[in-house]
Amino acid sequence: MLKTAHIVAGLALALTGGAANAQLAAHKDLTLPIAVAMAETAIQTCTAQGYKVSAHVLGRDAEVIVAMRGDGTGPHTLENSMRKAYTARMQRRPSGDFAKAAKENPTIGALHLANMIPAQGALPIKVGEDVIGAIGVSGAPGGEKDEACAKAGIDKVADQLK
Amino acid sequence: MFKLGYRAVGLSLVSALACLAAGSANAQVLAHKDISLAMATTMAMTAIESCKGQGYNVSVHVIGREGQVILGLRNDLAGPATYENSMKKAYTARTFRTPSGKFAENVKGNPTAGALFLANIVPAQGALPITIADDVIGAIGVSGAPGGDKDEACAKAGIDKVSADLK
Repeated sequence: MLKTAHIVAGLALALTGGAANAQLAAHKDLTLPIAVAMAETAIQTCTAQGYKVSAHVLGRDAEVIVAMRGDGTGPHTLENSMRKAYTARMQRRPSGDFAKAAKENPTIGALHLANMIPAQGALPIKVGEDVIGAIGVSGAPGGEKDEACAKAGIDKVADQLK
Repeated sequence: MFKLGYRAVGLSLVSALACLAAGSANAQVLAHKDISLAMATTMAMTAIESCKGQGYNVSVHVIGREGQVILGLRNDLAGPATYENSMKKAYTARTFRTPSGKFAENVKGNPTAGALFLANIVPAQGALPITIADDVIGAIGVSGAPGGDKDEACAKAGIDKVSADLK
């Protein structure tokens, strides 16, 4: 009988917990127009400096929202821009920061995950502290130049990232 | 001695000329036209908006002459499979130089057709080759509408948008 009471109490607790768990996660995500504006701005910024680049914009779950291969770019740049963006999204920090971390610890586990790449040129896209995606650029002569174009893309839509 | 010398010079002149003639024929590079990113973007955005106007959230790929992805777009709320599917449809249309729906029809009677086992080939309607006269320079693929015919109509809208520049 006592046991039954315990079970009832336990069930009641579980139900209360259930109500709290049942709240859906509310979050903001990139739209296609925002992602296109970012990628186009990044490519145009690099083109204006004489650099032919490709760009990727990924969403919250690292899904590709936009992939753009710039005219005359090297064959690897499309994949590379995706992997840089993937790295920035996963690490929630610039892919260049992950590259530095990998230099200090070349056996860092994350290097062995699919799509990760220790190369500068991608930045996380944030709403406040929430990482909602990433933008990656590849093709400029130097990761810092790729990153500057990625930043131009984010800056372009900064007022919508809130 | 002189004669020999002349002959040698004559021979080498002849062979040099022959080489030059052959060389210049072989050395001609292939001249062709390709899709620019700007044109691909116009096509893809038109296809997305055309489908969106009918209430369909789709993904779109535009691929180039070598099957390389020039552009991939995932519209808001498009299903997870649509991005990959639009690429595969486009690849299928490019490599077989025919609408992917035509390829789907063709393999209906031969479900073990070898081509079905190649990477990135999909027997599904929704992609069209992009051509300049008879030259296939790429393809556009759409996925996400309820029916391949509807996907294909949006792909066609994309091509129609730039048809004046496809020459």
